[in-house]
Amino acid sequence: MANTEASLKDAMASIEGTVGVALVDYTSGMALGTLGGGKDFNLEVAAAGNTDVVRAKLRTMEHLGIKDEIEDILITLGAQYHLIRLLKTRGSNGLFLYLVIDKARSNLAMARHQLRKIEAELEV
Amino acid sequence: MVPEAEVKDVLDELQRLRARVPLLTGALAASTDGLIVAQDTPGIEAEGVAALTAAALGVSIRMTDATGRGGFRELLIRGESGYIATYAAGSSAVLTLLAEDRINVGRLHLEGRRAGARIGEVVDAAQDRPDRPVPPPRPQQARALPRRTTPPDAT
Repeated sequence: MANTEASLKDAMASIEGTVGVALVDYTSGMALGTLGGGKDFNLEVAAAGNTDVVRAKLRTMEHLGIKDEIEDILITLGAQYHLIRLLKTRGSNGLFLYLVIDKARSNLAMARHQLRKIEAELEV
Repeated sequence: MVPEAEVKDVLDELQRLRARVPLLTGALAASTDGLIVAQDTPGIEAEGVAALTAAALGVSIRMTDATGRGGFRELLIRGESGYIATYAAGSSAVLTLLAEDRINVGRLHLEGRRAGARIGEVVDAAQDRPDRPVPPPRPQQARALPRRTTPPDAT
């Protein structure tokens, strides 16, 4: 089991091409922890904005009558991948991991696999 | 007091904010002494909220002061069915936002801070104008919190 900081560090170090990573509470839209980013990538802004993304998808599923859960959400940009992975471990409902990776330096399948592993070990 | 043209600017900012942020039910700019500058708070008695904001601000300033946290920046209150957030807006005004419980607080903070800074610029500029009478200085507030009085030689 790993705590928030260790998990964020792990994501930053082990996932090739990572630009930034955050653990976000989508009931409030605030980040529990962030790593990376920088002045041209504000992870607080990303946390708030992607909370709206997650909420919109959950609402849409509800309207469609789909009784399932979101495992992850992939957003593909021109130069980056943004991965949102909802936490499933006990006591961490309402949280997601948000990962920004550089498309040119990354392997999406590997990144997704590693993020799943980090999520499984994360204890908040 | 803030002149008419600036009040319009502040009101525009409040309305823009309410249009941008879902679940935001009211926005109000007030002077730090509790007078309304502009308001967009349907169904809420804004005068009362402005006066209470000033009272809460007084306590908040003393809190940040007593604990060495610098000047006042923001105040967040959560009730069972929603939030009240107050943001500093320049040197003599504050922005108070009313929001439903389901609001994205991260977004509320981002938008609230940004709008507070803009409203602060407008209000401060209006008050710095040389052709306007300078408002009388505000009475100095008691800074120290009441302390426990222990006789110096108590053992």
